[in-house]
Amino acid sequence: MRLLPFAYAVRNLGRSPSRLFLSVAGAAMVVLLILVAGGFVNGMSRALRATGGEHNVILMGAGSEESVERSEIEAGVPGVLAASVAGVRTRAGVAYVSPEVHVMLPVRVGAAARTTTQSSGEQAAAAQGSNTASMSKPKGRQVMMRGVTPTAALVHESVSLTEGRWPVSGADEVLVGRMAATVLGVAEIDVQVGKAVMIDGRPWEVVGRFSAPGTVVEAEVWLPLADLMTATKRETISCVVLTLDPYNEETGEGADFGDIAAFTKTRPDLELVPMTEREYYGKLANFFGPIKIVAWVTAGLIAVGGLFGGLNTMYAAFASRIRELGTLQSIGYRRLAIVWSMIQESTLATAAGGLIACAVGVFMLDGLAVRFSMGAFGLMIDETVIGLGLLTGLALGVVGALPPAIRCLKPTIPVALKAV
Amino acid sequence: MTTNHTNHRTNSSGPPLIQCRRLTKTYKKGDNTITPLQELDLDVPTGDFLALMGPSGSGKTTLLNLIAGIDRPSGGNLIIGGTDISTLSRSKLADWRSVNVGYVFQLYNLVPVLTAYENVELPLLLHSMSAKDRHEKVQTAMQLVGIADRHDHYPRQLSGGQEQRVAIARAIVTDPTIIVGDEPTGDLDQESAQAIMDLMVQLCEDLGKTLIIVTHDAKSAAYAKRTLHLEKGRLIEAAVLAARRAPLVPQEA
Repeated sequence: MRLLPFAYAVRNLGRSPSRLFLSVAGAAMVVLLILVAGGFVNGMSRALRATGGEHNVILMGAGSEESVERSEIEAGVPGVLAASVAGVRTRAGVAYVSPEVHVMLPVRVGAAARTTTQSSGEQAAAAQGSNTASMSKPKGRQVMMRGVTPTAALVHESVSLTEGRWPVSGADEVLVGRMAATVLGVAEIDVQVGKAVMIDGRPWEVVGRFSAPGTVVEAEVWLPLADLMTATKRETISCVVLTLDPYNEETGEGADFGDIAAFTKTRPDLELVPMTEREYYGKLANFFGPIKIVAWVTAGLIAVGGLFGGLNTMYAAFASRIRELGTLQSIGYRRLAIVWSMIQESTLATAAGGLIACAVGVFMLDGLAVRFSMGAFGLMIDETVIGLGLLTGLALGVVGALPPAIRCLKPTIPVALKAV
Repeated sequence: MTTNHTNHRTNSSGPPLIQCRRLTKTYKKGDNTITPLQELDLDVPTGDFLALMGPSGSGKTTLLNLIAGIDRPSGGNLIIGGTDISTLSRSKLADWRSVNVGYVFQLYNLVPVLTAYENVELPLLLHSMSAKDRHEKVQTAMQLVGIADRHDHYPRQLSGGQEQRVAIARAIVTDPTIIVGDEPTGDLDQESAQAIMDLMVQLCEDLGKTLIIVTHDAKSAAYAKRTLHLEKGRLIEAAVLAARRAPLVPQEA
């Protein structure tokens, strides 16, 4: 079968700039949405997956496996674990055992913090006066606070201090993650080193910032374990995170998860449940599964809506040249060759839209921080998502052209030649 | 008065190029069946120039479309160059058209996004040939119709007469056996129409093509070697036509 020249399809695009714009913009919007949905699902999955260390085991209180925030362990347990569990990684005499408290607390920064500070001062000065100011104070945003000891820096290998220093216990100092500003809904400048954040009604100074690329930890605020326990009036910790040295069959050193599980069974008095850190965050990822499905379904529905819009635009484009289609057939071009040319035309427009969307996705959306209940993560628009976006663009072109093309080629040649 | 099975066969020695036998075309329009062409017999020898005339709805365009292979008969046979095209599949018929027929339309029907050169080249893309051969054929066709200097012009940049010349070049570029024209001068002024008819006659004679046109214009029909009149899907005898045209003579008492 002989095809129509490619130039015919290309030049047909220029016949109606407004239609071309609609086709390109419509396809770009649909593809962009697919990229956002894909980037969202990808980013969330990666953040939760990457958060768990490969050799880390998290020990929580029995019955609290679903959420570390609800977990409670006696404060002395980390010492027992360090002394009793063989195979825990040790460097320079320091065991990789990190006792931690995880708690969501409202945090205020910037204008919100200043308002609160000011209103507290006014209240003190007015002594028993009107409490209008305090009633109108803005609520802070919930942020995951992690009370840690310096061993946390050993256990969580992805965490690295990028600015400032480690907080000193008892000095009301905190470390903030790279994405904390996103979670707090403030500018980066508001959580710079030297700034204050309001936690539990009093200011805490930001003394350092850390990054943990691609993990939800980046959205957290870290502070000394003892300080957080005091601030939250708790005597127990939430969990203990251990890093194991992988078991070596030749030397017989190291441990694996089974060893930890066996230990917790031999010490029921500690009421511990072990879980690999990856398994824990994997379960959290499953918890967010429905959100991912909703993201895809929403994107899919809007894509279908976009497809109908595209069908309408392409039908208008093809219907305006039915006589020309009849002429091409009278010359000897087969219907299939003409349909192919129409698909080329439509696909060129939607592919252009797809490419524009991909450029926007890569240069403007990739890494864009998104808040969610666990903290924040960056949209992850990788090769797979880009490929999916481009495929969607191409599919929009093909599927959007076929029905209008078939409909416009339905009349017999003599009828088509009479078309206005 | 019309005739059924009117014999419009030629007496040439070889078989005629086009043979219509009891050629019928019907189609449905709502609940009604329309018969624009009814059991028509017609022979057209190679090199003939035939003009089809008749009132609107007489079936002349239907006959032209059937001969051009862009429509299919409902009954009878249509043998062109030894091939019964009424039996060809849709795709085979498309291939047959690309080799055997050049169509000239009243409104030129050029592709607006292609230049004059590209419009003329369009039918050649259906044939296997080198780009050089294709270029030579396009050049020759455009020179023959006198628009060699309009290669890069788009249809919107050409006059009606020039557009029709491009359309004629497109029709002859593949060296088809038959050239058909549906009111080829219908949209042109008198001067341009005359020039186009002169050109078509010249091409018909020089290239030995068989030319069939549908026209309402007696001046254009006068260029043809033969003129056939249709009415209600049937050919009318020349004698009947002459009688109709004869002035009425009042009878003396």
